[in-house]
Amino acid sequence: MCAGAVLGTAWPVKRVPDYSIGKVPTVFTRVSIFIVALSILCGTLVTFLLAPEEAQAIPAFARKYNTNCMDCHTAPPVLNAFGQRFLENGYQLPGTEDGGITGKKKLGDLNLDDVNQYLGFRLVGNVTSSWNFKQQNPPGADAGVVENKTEFTFPQNFVLFAGGTVAKNVGFFVELGHEVDEGGAEVERGFVTFNNLGYRNLAHLRVGKFDPSAFYSYVTVRQQLNNIGDSQTSCSGTYVPCSYNRVGLAPSAFATKFYGLYDRSGNYLSPFTSSLYNSDGETGVDIHGRPFGDWFLYQVGVLNGANEHLGDSNKGKDVYGMIRFDYARSNYFSASLSGFIYQGNSNAKVQTQEDVNWNRYGLSARATYMMVDVYAAYSVDKINNTPTSVAGLFDSTATGLTIGADTYVTSKTLVSLRYDNLDAGGMLDQRVSSSFIGVQAKHFLRANVAILARSDFNLRQSEDGDTAARNLRNAFFSGIDVIF
Amino acid sequence: MQIRTLLAIGAGLAMLSIASFANAVKPEDNQATREKGKQIYEQACLFCHGAEGKGDGPAGWFIGRYESPRPRDFAGGSYKFRSTPSGELPTDQDLFRTVTQGIPSNMPPFSGLSEEERWQVIAYVKTFNQAFKGAKPTALVLPNPPGPPSDAGIENGRKTYIKYGCQNCHGDNGYGDGKEALDGNLKDTYGLMISPGDLTERASLKNGSSAQALYRSIMTGLDGTPMPSYADTIGGNDKDVWDLVYYILTLSQEKP
Repeated sequence: MCAGAVLGTAWPVKRVPDYSIGKVPTVFTRVSIFIVALSILCGTLVTFLLAPEEAQAIPAFARKYNTNCMDCHTAPPVLNAFGQRFLENGYQLPGTEDGGITGKKKLGDLNLDDVNQYLGFRLVGNVTSSWNFKQQNPPGADAGVVENKTEFTFPQNFVLFAGGTVAKNVGFFVELGHEVDEGGAEVERGFVTFNNLGYRNLAHLRVGKFDPSAFYSYVTVRQQLNNIGDSQTSCSGTYVPCSYNRVGLAPSAFATKFYGLYDRSGNYLSPFTSSLYNSDGETGVDIHGRPFGDWFLYQVGVLNGANEHLGDSNKGKDVYGMIRFDYARSNYFSASLSGFIYQGNSNAKVQTQEDVNWNRYGLSARATYMMVDVYAAYSVDKINNTPTSVAGLFDSTATGLTIGADTYVTSKTLVSLRYDNLDAGGMLDQRVSSSFIGVQAKHFLRANVAILARSDFNLRQSEDGDTAARNLRNAFFSGIDVIF
Repeated sequence: MQIRTLLAIGAGLAMLSIASFANAVKPEDNQATREKGKQIYEQACLFCHGAEGKGDGPAGWFIGRYESPRPRDFAGGSYKFRSTPSGELPTDQDLFRTVTQGIPSNMPPFSGLSEEERWQVIAYVKTFNQAFKGAKPTALVLPNPPGPPSDAGIENGRKTYIKYGCQNCHGDNGYGDGKEALDGNLKDTYGLMISPGDLTERASLKNGSSAQALYRSIMTGLDGTPMPSYADTIGGNDKDVWDLVYYILTLSQEKP
């Protein structure tokens, strides 16, 4: 897990590189990047288009029910209203308790088809990543080379997941992720669900490591524009700020937002990592349900803290509550509005190694009409016990706004747009706010095989000098997403 | 045709012919039943079929996107999966079968609902269409297969397949790649492009892949799609129909 960054100047331990020695990108380099990226994209496209079309290619849950991925998804991995209820019901069809039928089999009765109904794989990543900086970054690091960089980066992420029901109203999900760059594998999520406690839809319990925002209007782990991690120029030692080469491209509403926070081991927390309620995975217990009908959902949970791998001092548990209002009736239309409060308890530290309580308050909305899906999330992060040792040096409030939209322009082509604005908090001499807009075209060659092209543009590149948050002009990616 | 293959088809046929959905004890179709059905419908069915059964639920658009199929419009649309003659309403048993089995590649099976719940939801679904009021749809009589298939019968089935132009949509080898399909001429009643069934993939056949289900599809057609009923053409000749059914089944045999 990457740690963090310093974009300021006054903090004594690390100096931010001087970005004053800039070069203007040459036409040749721009053309080269374009040709390389386009060639790979075209090659991939031709390869898949020439291959014979299969009748059906479906991952685990669709295989289990012999149905269509699009029963549950607007576009994988984003869920539609039906898929959302399937998830809420612990991987049982909405309105049913079919785990009693589709669940556990005796070992002797199992065959490969049965195993197939529980296992899925996802191989996803950008085949090429091209970066265009205002200046060489870091300056002088590669004499004679201009500011554009193109890398082959596929595969970036491989995920094995297993899920389903083991009995009536007992479900499970395990996701094992392997980040190719970082090596090793990690249980991203792993939990058991106990569903329909009391009566149908009154309460569903999750126990384990799960994504708290699974039932929020805008779900952290279901993005059309995948997260692009930040790049650090230096990041070593404990309680030492890190320097950034490049900021991360991830939804700002879900991000850490603060510069100058550390985990319990003294590692710098990246301001761009999804955290708290919007974490990819936290360990704890969570209950949700719709006791009054489909229009209202509640969720409450208790967690160890701000993601164990980020490091919570664990002196107290973090708690959260979320409510969601839904309208999903007819005319191919649905809408939802959600709000949450996440109360942290000694879940981060500042440079002086003192604990802080890091809280988050968020709102999210989503509307889907036929081929158009529009969603937004806004969150305010607050640290309510800023230590006196950093008083006046630390902004205890940070906000993030993410607005996105997806639309099918043809039956197989999805265009996505996302705007992010991060008004960063934390150490005043480090924090740098940023705004990006990303656009992506994703073409589904099969229901489960897609190729994509994406570009992200820095909207604040000209402000406030040449920090890492400003220096990135734009980034272009071409990638593949395969789920099988 | 290998004798082993013939035996396999024959055995499968025998099993399939006796397999039918038990006409489970239905609750009386009254207000209370329909109310319970409504509750189930709003939790399980509404997301695709919509609050008023028009097939316009909030998740309904994504299944076919710009193409067919869309979820069934209970209120005004025709019903594909019937045992009744073309143009008629389905029987309750037809609806029960679809709810229970689902539709391969499109609708999951709701066998997780109890039989009583399925009958309740069917009682509610029928309220969307006034034509169900007082109607007594009657299923066509599906005869039992005359016996195990023979090489000669299957060859006759192949000729029947060609004689009635099945290859125009389903293709010479049943892959669903006939000229009409490739030319984009096949549309449903909503004007959406629709693909013919791939007869080599039994699991993808939406109205069932048993011999009897194939017989039923040929005789009743799939209303609202380009698949017509052949009851008035081939219907008088049971042997040809069964030979055609056997031939279609051979298209999906595992290759050696």
